Amino acid sequence: MNINDLEDKALWLRQELFEMAMRQKKGHIPSSFSCADIVTALYYGGVLNYQEGEPDFPGRDRVIVSKGHAAMVLYPVLADLGYFPAEELKRFTEPGGLLGMYADFRIPGIEGISGSLGHGLGMGAGFALAARQDGHDYRTFVILGDGECYEGSIWESAMFAAHHKLDNLVAIVDRNALCILGRTEDLVALGDLEDKWRSFGWNAVSIDGHDFAEIGDAFAKLDNLDGRPLAIIANTVKGKGISFMEGRPEWHNRMPDDAQMNAARGELGLAAVQGGEA
Amino acid sequence: MDMVVKPKLQRDAVIETIVAAARKDKDILFISADLGAAALDSFREDFPDQFIHAGIAEQNMVDLASGLALSGKKVFLYAMAPFITARCYEQVKCVIASMNLPVTLIAVGVGLGYDHATLTHFTPEDIACMRALNGIEVLTPSDANSAAAIAQICIDDPKFRYIRLERQPLAALYHGGFDAALNDGFGHLCAGSRVAIVACGYLTHNALAAADALRDAGIEAGVIDLVRVKPLDGAKLTELFAGYDAVLTVEEQLLEGGMGSAVAEALIDAADGRRAVVPIKRLGLRDGFEVVNGDRGELHRLYGIDTNHIIAAAGHLAEARPE
Repeated sequence: MNINDLEDKALWLRQELFEMAMRQKKGHIPSSFSCADIVTALYYGGVLNYQEGEPDFPGRDRVIVSKGHAAMVLYPVLADLGYFPAEELKRFTEPGGLLGMYADFRIPGIEGISGSLGHGLGMGAGFALAARQDGHDYRTFVILGDGECYEGSIWESAMFAAHHKLDNLVAIVDRNALCILGRTEDLVALGDLEDKWRSFGWNAVSIDGHDFAEIGDAFAKLDNLDGRPLAIIANTVKGKGISFMEGRPEWHNRMPDDAQMNAARGELGLAAVQGGEA
Repeated sequence: MDMVVKPKLQRDAVIETIVAAARKDKDILFISADLGAAALDSFREDFPDQFIHAGIAEQNMVDLASGLALSGKKVFLYAMAPFITARCYEQVKCVIASMNLPVTLIAVGVGLGYDHATLTHFTPEDIACMRALNGIEVLTPSDANSAAAIAQICIDDPKFRYIRLERQPLAALYHGGFDAALNDGFGHLCAGSRVAIVACGYLTHNALAAADALRDAGIEAGVIDLVRVKPLDGAKLTELFAGYDAVLTVEEQLLEGGMGSAVAEALIDAADGRRAVVPIKRLGLRDGFEVVNGDRGELHRLYGIDTNHIIAAAGHLAEARPE
């Protein structure tokens, strides 16, 4: 896909996510929207190797949304790839449905469980190490929250991956600069994350996580990693795409009222719905 | 002068068994958080791809294991007991238990094994916390032979397991015949009729010494080596204890949620609302126990779980239930 097509696809993804969340009024919209462009580029920008309809294809690249509250960002994509029926999106968080709030490893296309922060990079290092030992050339991509980088386990795993020269491992830090209670730099400053990852022995690059040209340039580095894993610090806006949620920590897990829902629909190019319910 | 042969360490027996299998199976991976063993040295040299040092970083060790296990690897994690249990408990819960991955956690120095290191290295709660994990199997060998047999089970039938190893060498108790103990979950090491003393690991040896002394005093005490703390077969234990007047459990754990709790729960559940058939007394660490410098024996005396305390407690139980 070219950049225009990717932008259209990202809008489609946000539309799907919004309606998915509105049915049961469940989910984390701002956290998903901040990494929606990165996910779009991964799956539709020619970055990932996968086979439609075959979630267990052995040579597939592995994706872990380690910030598990945003794992829902994958659901419309995985349905679109034919990994499970699109009807499941309408049953998000419902009893008997396949898709829950957090990533369940039993969902086709979800590689491992997430929800508690700080586990995905170590898990990803395990995938990467196994790939090397078994002579597979698949890559593992781990989407981390910047708030997740407070967890010490992330840095334990970062050190481990660099030592083992796991250049088949990519960490994408969704740097939306917000936690539940406010701005990371006001709470406990994370500082220069690019510098921190580089000092741990990684290749590191900072990009605008909503600019498909910059995202594409970052992934282009994958072919030339010289034995070091790659960290992409994607500077993003939490809630990107819904103006009144953008950069506002209080929307982390809040649901819009009817008027706000239709305002959001308007911004996302969706038709307003009487009474707000989809 | 006769050569005194020191019994093999459980950790060496376990590692030798795993290494022998790993030489033939490249999917067996052994990951250490900076704990060694004599048996590990040549393996580290000869199979650098199958021995992984996780760093003194137990969180990474467990998360890493999940990715490897999901990729089809048979993963053994190895560390000092306090650090492979409470230190990375959330990791084990979230990425191993939640996906029921076939990962074996091997703890060295359970209970008061690191006696002089005191509280940071004690695990007075490892049975309570590890048996509370969904889907886990908890095994405690009482000698090197049973430890090796348990390791072989972990190789042949990989599952989510927690293996509790004693740090010190222990005299051999099993010379073959351990399969039956593994099948039942316990070894009935000596039979009696008055008091059944239930212990595991190190304290099984104290229980045997106590049973000898009790028999000399005319009290027929039996010893049950509780090899598998979870799952317990309550029906089988009920049947076993039907041949005794009373049960005495002894452990190097806080009483809250420990081995004695597990036994009592199993009997209550097997009774299914009826009165459990046998009186039970538990010996173990009491809430608020004091930490002092001292070797294992002194700590056992202080905490009331040494051989003399076992004898006294069993004697009281026998008196309370005259023949």
